[in-house]
Amino acid sequence: MTQNTAIASARPDARPALEARAYSLAYETPGGLVQALKSIDISIPRGKTLGLVGESGSGKTSLAWAIMRYLPRNARELGGDLLLAGESLRATSKSQIADIRGARIGMVFQDPSTSLNPTLTLGEQLAETLIRHRKMSKAQAFSEGEALLARTGITRPAAMMKRYPHEASGGEKQRVVIATAFACDPECILFDEPTTALDTITSRQILDIFQTLQEDTGVAALYISHDLALVSRIAHDVAVIHRGEIVERGATATLFRNPQHDYTRALIAAAPRPDIRLSGPAPDIAAPTVLATQDLTVRYGGRSLLQKLMGRGEAAVEGARKIDIDVREGEILGIVGESGSGKSTIARAIAGIADFNGTISFDDHVVQERSAISRSYRRAAQIIFQNPDASLNPRQRVGEIIARPLKLYGLARGSGIEARVAELLAQVRLPADFAGRYPHQLSGGEKQRVAIARAFAARPKLVICDEITSSLDVSVQAAVARLLVDLQAESKASCLFITHDLNLVRQLAHRIAVVYRGDLVDLFEAADFDAQKRHPYTRALLEAMPPPIHP
Amino acid sequence: MRELLRHPTGLAGAVLLAIIAVMTIFGPLIAPYDPQQFHPLSRLQGPSVAYWLGTDQFGRDILSRILTGARSTILFGLGATMAGVAAGGAIGLIAGAIGGAVDSLIMRLLDGLLAVPDLLFTLLIVTVLGGGSGHAMLAVAIAFMPGLARIARSTVLSVRTREFVLAAQARGESPAYVIACEIMPNTIAPIIVEATIRVSFAIMLGATLGFLGLGAQPPSTEWGLMIAEARQYMFRNPICVAAPGVAIALAALGFNLLGDALRDLTDPRGRR
Repeated sequence: MTQNTAIASARPDARPALEARAYSLAYETPGGLVQALKSIDISIPRGKTLGLVGESGSGKTSLAWAIMRYLPRNARELGGDLLLAGESLRATSKSQIADIRGARIGMVFQDPSTSLNPTLTLGEQLAETLIRHRKMSKAQAFSEGEALLARTGITRPAAMMKRYPHEASGGEKQRVVIATAFACDPECILFDEPTTALDTITSRQILDIFQTLQEDTGVAALYISHDLALVSRIAHDVAVIHRGEIVERGATATLFRNPQHDYTRALIAAAPRPDIRLSGPAPDIAAPTVLATQDLTVRYGGRSLLQKLMGRGEAAVEGARKIDIDVREGEILGIVGESGSGKSTIARAIAGIADFNGTISFDDHVVQERSAISRSYRRAAQIIFQNPDASLNPRQRVGEIIARPLKLYGLARGSGIEARVAELLAQVRLPADFAGRYPHQLSGGEKQRVAIARAFAARPKLVICDEITSSLDVSVQAAVARLLVDLQAESKASCLFITHDLNLVRQLAHRIAVVYRGDLVDLFEAADFDAQKRHPYTRALLEAMPPPIHP
Repeated sequence: MRELLRHPTGLAGAVLLAIIAVMTIFGPLIAPYDPQQFHPLSRLQGPSVAYWLGTDQFGRDILSRILTGARSTILFGLGATMAGVAAGGAIGLIAGAIGGAVDSLIMRLLDGLLAVPDLLFTLLIVTVLGGGSGHAMLAVAIAFMPGLARIARSTVLSVRTREFVLAAQARGESPAYVIACEIMPNTIAPIIVEATIRVSFAIMLGATLGFLGLGAQPPSTEWGLMIAEARQYMFRNPICVAAPGVAIALAALGFNLLGDALRDLTDPRGRR
């Protein structure tokens, strides 16, 4: 990082590249004025990265939009100013802003597939910025574009320039977006969760590229994220934003080592730490096996009868191939892998909502096809999905949702149902009057608790958790994980815990299975994660992961 | 409901429909004259204190005819739409929920029907069945069915893959429960929106059929028929034609505005 300082001091301009001074922003809503940002002060010198950490709804993205001057019509700027190299952005006219965007401020969004135009080649989109702002000819812009892509680590830039967004992977697309952001040598780049949509190994590569480019160009960066571990690795300074207010700021190392504000402490405490185990000891080796799969294979797609007759359509894709796993009574088996690795596919086959080949032995059932799965199997194996917004029916009240398994499996009758619902709500630490509410009246964490209560209402022997914490805010994730472990221990149910978060799985699971492109590549005791004998892919995952923060 | 009245388009639609509703319910009671009574001495008169909107070629009071005609016109629109929603909704729900070959077959048939314009289609059916209010209503309902089925089906398809439906399937719920309790309640909103807008088309189609003599028959005071009967005299007393025309336009506009507002309000992207 000393190089950065050298570059920064080489340029005579001592003004910070980007500054916010007592900036306040509010939105007009039917319910009145809602303040999104309260007197924000930030300052980013050249060559430095400021990490802006906050949870959803904290106002961090509002700040990025305000800097880019992309404010919605109901936004009201209440005071303060935003400065780019000392010039007020609020005072700049619309046409001047158009010259600044892309040329002096670059932006990289969360999802590269939505920030690129699907009807233009990647080369055309990259060249457009160069033609517009650096007044290059088309030929010049394309050759410069290739050079830029090469700097982002794309091996065959000329070929990539000719591709359309759907022909490139998520990581490649994000490299193109980053190349575009750096194209005009901007003074400042805003990153809004640029790696959240990418898998661990790719996001690690993207961050490395960004750091190299920053060292080369001395650009200032505002890096917005909810991921503390990631920010701690990339940012020089950190600001913590909570409900539109910056509650704490400081140099990264100091802030994480010695947090002053309660909210910062809570955030850091909530980040998963693999050295602190949440679950109890592994069940005895002699404990009976609850679930065992043999050659479990799941195929997707395939051709319909009509397509076969006409000789069209594509052959089936194998989402999971010959998976052999087993779970003992009371055990938590973690399944880790990147998005698209097949971990959810395995969960869906075992939960009886995906067709499969092979054998699943569960409890006293041995099934070889989906239609053979009986209702008593389904009662004993409950699945909890990633996103409670999608897994709870928005037209049913919480009470109805939790009562449904009780009625369906005949586990309670008459007034017993209401009593049991209240009991379940208490178990997931929700007040009893939540039974009368609709899901949209609950927060994300509360909704996921309802989904957990519904799963445990069936008194299952196996609970399948499919990324149940990934759609939640950091501070809620830990509480939900802890709740799951408590309920699991109390009910002695076994658990399949599927996640991409290695730090979290190491806190929970007794054993860990690693899936990669549909294959089970590694299976080991949680304590042996770091061992040298691990599969190369497991090691790559572990290396790519940002190190956990230790206060 | 409160949000609807705060929505400017919704408020305008609601006000119009409130007036129409009063006419539909109380029209015959508040009409100053018997709508069928001839006043031979005061034919084709302009507006006066006695006859607020003037009289037609037989000296019948136009205001009284408009007030009594609201009922047959509006009930025609509502009835035809509701029948179309019931039939189309059921077909769409079944096609979407079952999927596969059944779905393909039903939808290809409906695509064929969709290719025929609504008016041509209703004319065809009325020609086969014969005219009259009941047959015209049936014809409009049948003409609406394919479009409504398509909307119901597409909503079902988007709901069917949501995780709460998967969760129900994982629990081992019966297909009937999944359709009735998980899918259907989540498909109602878009269908209601579409139906509200369609009521206005149904009113206009009904009036068109009445005008062509294929819908309501004399001496009905259905508005389209009123225009047809008075059209020869429209240069001697334009109000004979203008009054039912404006009434049709306002009723159709009311349902249309309300439908637009409902669409805005039920679109989650437009809400916080």
